[in-house]
Amino acid sequence: MSDVPAIVLLSLLQLLLVLASAPLISGIIGKTKARFQNRQGAGILQPYFDLAKLLRKEVVVSPVASWVFRSTPYLVFASTLVIALLVPTVVVPVPLDWVGDIITVIYLFALGRFFVALVGLDTGSAFGGLGASREMSIASIIEPAMMLAIFTAAVTAGSTNLSVIVATLSSTPASMLNPAHLLAFSGLFIVTMAETGRIPVDNPDTHLELTMIHEAMILEYSGRYLAFIEWSSQMKLAIFLALLSNMFFPVGMATTLAPWALFVGCAAFFAKVIVLAAIVAVVESTNAKLRLFRVPELLMVAFILSLLALILYFIVGA
Amino acid sequence: MSAGYVLGALLPALTGILGWGRVKSPGALDGLVKNLGFTIALASSLAGCVLSLSILLSGDPLHVEIQQSLPFGTMALHADRLSAFFLGVISLIAAAVSVYSLGYAKEFLGRRNMALLVFLYNLFLLSMAGVVLSGHAFLFLFFWEGMSLTTYFLINYEHEDPAARRAAYLYVVMTHLGTALLVVMFVILFSHTGSFSFGAFRDPGSRLPTAVQSIVFLCATIGFGVKAGIIPFHIWLPEAHPAAPSNISALMSGVMIKMGIYGMVRVYFDFLGPDIPEWWGILILIVAVTSSVLGVLYALMEHDLKRLLAFHSIENIGIILMGVGGALLFASLGNRPLASLALLAGLYHVLNHATFKGLLFLGAGSVLHATHTRNIEELGGLVKRLPWTAFFFLVGAVAISALPPLNGFVSEWLTFQALLLGFHLSDLSVKIAVPLTVALLALTGALAAACFVKAFGITFLGLPRSDRAASAQESSFSMIAAMGSLALLCVVFGIAPGLVVSVLDPLVGSLPATSASGQVVLKGGMMLIPQSNSSSVSPLVLCGLIIAVTLVPIAAGYLLGGRMRRRAVMTWACGLQKIEPRMQYTATGFSKPIRMIFSNIFRATHEIEISDETSPYFRPDITYELKTESLFLKYLYEPAYRIIIGSARIFRRIQTGHIQTYLAYIFLTLVLLLLFAR
Amino acid sequence: MDPTHLQTVGLLIDIFAAAILVTAFLVVSSRSLVFYIRLFALQSFFLGVVALLVVLGYGETHILIAAVLTIAIKAIAIPVVLSRVIERIHVRKEVDFSINIPASLLLCGGMVILADSVAHSILDAQRADAPAVSRVLSVSIAMMLIGLFIMMTRKKAITQIVGLLTMENGVFLSGLSITYGMPLIVEVGIFFDILVAVLILGVFIFRINKTFESISIDSLRSLRE
Repeated sequence: MSDVPAIVLLSLLQLLLVLASAPLISGIIGKTKARFQNRQGAGILQPYFDLAKLLRKEVVVSPVASWVFRSTPYLVFASTLVIALLVPTVVVPVPLDWVGDIITVIYLFALGRFFVALVGLDTGSAFGGLGASREMSIASIIEPAMMLAIFTAAVTAGSTNLSVIVATLSSTPASMLNPAHLLAFSGLFIVTMAETGRIPVDNPDTHLELTMIHEAMILEYSGRYLAFIEWSSQMKLAIFLALLSNMFFPVGMATTLAPWALFVGCAAFFAKVIVLAAIVAVVESTNAKLRLFRVPELLMVAFILSLLALILYFIVGA
Repeated sequence: MSAGYVLGALLPALTGILGWGRVKSPGALDGLVKNLGFTIALASSLAGCVLSLSILLSGDPLHVEIQQSLPFGTMALHADRLSAFFLGVISLIAAAVSVYSLGYAKEFLGRRNMALLVFLYNLFLLSMAGVVLSGHAFLFLFFWEGMSLTTYFLINYEHEDPAARRAAYLYVVMTHLGTALLVVMFVILFSHTGSFSFGAFRDPGSRLPTAVQSIVFLCATIGFGVKAGIIPFHIWLPEAHPAAPSNISALMSGVMIKMGIYGMVRVYFDFLGPDIPEWWGILILIVAVTSSVLGVLYALMEHDLKRLLAFHSIENIGIILMGVGGALLFASLGNRPLASLALLAGLYHVLNHATFKGLLFLGAGSVLHATHTRNIEELGGLVKRLPWTAFFFLVGAVAISALPPLNGFVSEWLTFQALLLGFHLSDLSVKIAVPLTVALLALTGALAAACFVKAFGITFLGLPRSDRAASAQESSFSMIAAMGSLALLCVVFGIAPGLVVSVLDPLVGSLPATSASGQVVLKGGMMLIPQSNSSSVSPLVLCGLIIAVTLVPIAAGYLLGGRMRRRAVMTWACGLQKIEPRMQYTATGFSKPIRMIFSNIFRATHEIEISDETSPYFRPDITYELKTESLFLKYLYEPAYRIIIGSARIFRRIQTGHIQTYLAYIFLTLVLLLLFAR
Repeated sequence: MDPTHLQTVGLLIDIFAAAILVTAFLVVSSRSLVFYIRLFALQSFFLGVVALLVVLGYGETHILIAAVLTIAIKAIAIPVVLSRVIERIHVRKEVDFSINIPASLLLCGGMVILADSVAHSILDAQRADAPAVSRVLSVSIAMMLIGLFIMMTRKKAITQIVGLLTMENGVFLSGLSITYGMPLIVEVGIFFDILVAVLILGVFIFRINKTFESISIDSLRSLRE
C-alpha cells in the first residue's frame, strides 16, 4: 500500500475509529464494574455525554499555572492521536508503520506522561506534586517490564516494526498459541493495567489523597482541558487493548482495501477489544488496589513472565 | 587552516598573559579582555566546526608534521574522521558556550581576575582540540595533561569556597590516576611497535599478542574511564562540575568527559584487534549498565541543580558505553555490521549528550546567575520570571529524557535497535546480556524522565519558595542566544537525524574493527534499519503529524464547546485561606517513592531534630536531615585509602632519620648492583 | 499416532508446563497462605492434565491411574486438608521474608536458566521431539529448585509444606517427561506417602500453634534450648 490517497484514507479511518470508540470502551468497563458491584451503573454511552458536557464548560485556571498547564492538554491529545495512527487496529500493514515502531509508541506515551507530571507541579498544589511523584516512580518500574514484553514479541518477528510483527504472527496462526507468546501476553497485560492506571495499581475513580495517582496530577483541570485529558486516557486504554490483541492474536485483520475486508477488520477489532475490556473490568472488580510499595512486586512478576518467555523459548531452547 | 585555529586559540592566551596584572582594578580594560577573549574563542570554535566538517565530508585526513628535536620521533597532528567528529562536537559546544560567557562572565567583572578566566578558558579549548588532533602519544599526553591542569585551575576559580578547593584536589588526584595508566598503556604500545606514533599503533603488522592487548584494554578502560566518569571512578565528577563556573561546567560535562570516550574508541577500534576477546564487550556493558542506573539513581536524590546534572552525565556516559560495549561484543563474535550499528548509536549519543547537557548546564548557570543559589528547594515559579531560560531548559529536559521528536530519542532508538538485533547471535552470554541491557536502558530512560520532571518542575513551576526566586531577573541576550542555539540543535538533530547519520556512517566504516557501513538507510527524514526487517522511524514526519493533529482538539473544542471561556481562580488550598509556597511538594519528597523502592541501593539515614528550647506557645523548630550513603566512597575508596596509608606507614620505617642508615642503603644497593649486573 | 495429532498434544503439553512454572512463580510472588494453597491445587490440576495428555499422545495407559490420583489427591484432597488447618490456626499471611519478593523472583528466574542448561546437557541430541521434552524437563528441574527455594526463604510451616509439595510435583513431572512415568506401584506408593505426610503435618501444625501461639519456624528454634 504505497499510494498516498489510500494511506491518508486508512489513517483517517484509524484515527476516527480510535477517537470515537475510546469513550465507548470506558463505558463498557464502567458498566461491567457496576454490575459486579450489584448496581445498575451508568449507561455505556455515558462517557460521551460527560465529554460533551466538559467541552462546553468554562475553564478555571490558577494564576500560578504557566503556559505548560495551558498547552499540555493539546500536546497529550495530539501525541495520543499520533500513537493511534501508528498501532495496528483494522488493517495490516499499518499505513504509517514507517513513521514509528513499537519503541516510538512507548516513548510517545512517555512524552505525554512527562508533561502531565509537570502540570501536577505547575499549579503549586500539594496533590499535584503527590500525583506526579507517584506516577513517575511507578512509570520508571513499568518501563523495563514493558520493554521486555515488547522485546519478546519483536524477537520472533526480527523487527520492531508493528506491521512486521503482526504479519509474522498472522502468517503462522499456530504460533499464536506458542507458550512464549502467552507468557509475554500476560506480562504485557499486567503492564497495561499499570500503565493505564487501573486497579490494582491505581484507582481511576477515586479522589482520595491516599489512593490517587493519575487523578491527582490532573486535579486542577476543568472544562475542555479536562475533556481532552480524559479523552486521551480513554484513548490510551483503547490503544493498549488494540496492541495487546493485535500483537498477540491478530485474527481477522484486513489485508486489502476491499470494503468487506475492512468491515470484517472493524468487527474483529471491536470484538477483541471488547473482550479484553471485559477482562480488564473483571480483574479490576476482583482485586483490591495495592499499597504503593507493593506495586514493584507486581511489576516484577510481569518482568519475570517476559523473562521466562525469553529463557525457555529463545535463550537456551529452540 | 588548522594552523590558523591553533594560532587563534593561542592569541587570547597571549592576551590573557598580557592582561594578567590587572587583578584588582575593574574598568573598561577588564570588559575589553572579556569580550576580546570570548569572541576570539567563538571565532576559533567556528573555524574548528568548519575544519571538522570539511574532514568529515571529504574523508581526507589532515596530517601536519611538527619538526622538533625531542627524541620521541616525528610528532604529527593527524585528524581522521573520528578526530574530526569529536573536534566538531568540541567546537559546536564551545561556540555556544563562548557566546554564553560573554554575558555570564559579567558577574566576575571587578570581583575576580577576568584575564585569568579568559586565559584558562582558551587554553582549555586549545588542549581539548589538541587531544583529538594528536597523532602521536607524547603530544596526546601533553594536551591531555594540559586539559587536566587548566580544568584544575578553572574549578578552583572561586577558590575561597572550601568545597571548590576540595573538589579541585579530588579531581586532580583522580585524573592523574587515570593519566598514569595512560602512560603505562602508551609505553606498552611503544615497546611492542617501536614508535610512539598513532600510525604505528594502527599498523596491522604490529599486532600485539592477546594477553598484551588485554592489558592495554584494561589500562585504556580505567585510564580513559576516570576522565569519562564511569562508576566506580566517578567520585570526582559530582564534586568538580558544580564547583566550576557554569560555562566551564557546561564544557566539562558536555565535552571534556567525551575525551575519555574518544580515547576509548580510538584504542578499542583503531589500535586493537582483529581478534577481540568476548569478555571485553561484556565488561564494558557491565560498566555501562552500572554507571547508567546508579548515575540516575543518585541524580534523583540530589537537590543541588548542578550536582544533579553531573550525575546525569555519568548516566549518559553509561548509555554511550552501552553502544560501545555492544559494538565490542558484536565485533568479538565476528558480526561487523552489527558492531558498526552499535558504535554509530554510541557516537550519536556523544553528540546528543554534548548538546543537551551543555544546554542544561547553561540553563543552570542562568538560574544560578539570577537567584544565586543552586539549591532547587529554594526555587520555584521561575517560569514566569525567566521565561526564555525556562523554555530552553525544558527543551533540554525533554531531550535528555529521550522523548520524541528530540535528539535523545534518536540515539536511544538506535541503541535499542542494535541491541535487539544482537539477540539473534547464537552466543549464550549475548543472549543473557542483551535482554538485561535492554530492560535496564528502559529503566534509566524512565528514571531520567522522573528526575527531570523533578528538576524542571520544582525549579521553574509552582510558587517561588524563597525571596531569591521571587525576585529573579532574566539573563542577558548573549546567554539566551547561546541556550537558544543549543536548543535549536537539539531539535535539528532530533528531526533530521540524516544529517548526523550521513556523517557517522562513513566514520564507523573507516575504523578497522567495525569496517561496515550502510546499517542505517536514510530515506527523506526516515531512518531505516534493513537488517531488522525494516524497523524504521521518521522523526520529521512524527513531529509534523503531532503538530498537524493538534488541530483536532482545537477544532473539537470550537465545534462542540464554542469559544473558550477562562476564569482565573487561585489553586485550591484544601480549605485554607491562601496557598503557601511551603504547601507545595519539595524535591526530597518528590523522589521519596523512588528512594523507598531502591532503598537497598541508597541505604538512606535520616535524622529528625526537634528543638524545644523555644517558648511553649510557639511551634518547635524541626530539622530533617536526609543522607544517602555513598556506596563507592565507603566500600571501595576508603578501604583502598586505608590500605595505602597503612602500607605507606609500614614502609616509612625504613626512613629512620639516621644518616648512617641511608649510607648503608646506598652501600647495599651498590653491592647488589655489582653482584647482579656484571 | 498421526503427526499433527502428536503436534497438537505436544503444543498443549508445552502450554500446560509453562502454566505450571508460572504457578510456582506466583507462589514466590505472593504473601497469602490461602493463595498458596489455591495455586498448589491449580498446579497439581495442570500436572494431572499433562499426565492425561501424555496418555493421549503416547498411549502409556498406566499413567492414567497416576493422573487420576494426582488430581484426586494433590488437586483436591491435600488442599482441602491444608485449608482446614489454616482455618483453625487463623494464620493467613507470610510477613517475614529473608529475601524480599522482587529479588527472590529474579533469583528464581536465574534458577530457570540453570535448569534449562542442565536439561539440555542431559538430553543432548537424543529425541526427535527434543525441544518440547527438554522444556518439560527444564520446567521440572526448575520446580524442584524453586520448591527448595521456597522452603529456604519462608518462615511459616504451611509454606514449607507447599514448597515440599512443589518439589514433589517437579519430580513427578520429570518422571513423566523422560521415562513416560515410573512403574505404577512406585507412583501409588508415593501418593499415599504424601497424603499421610500431609495429614500428619497438618495435625502437627495445629498442635504446635496451640502450644506456642505461632507457626513461624524462627520460634521453633527455641525448642533447642
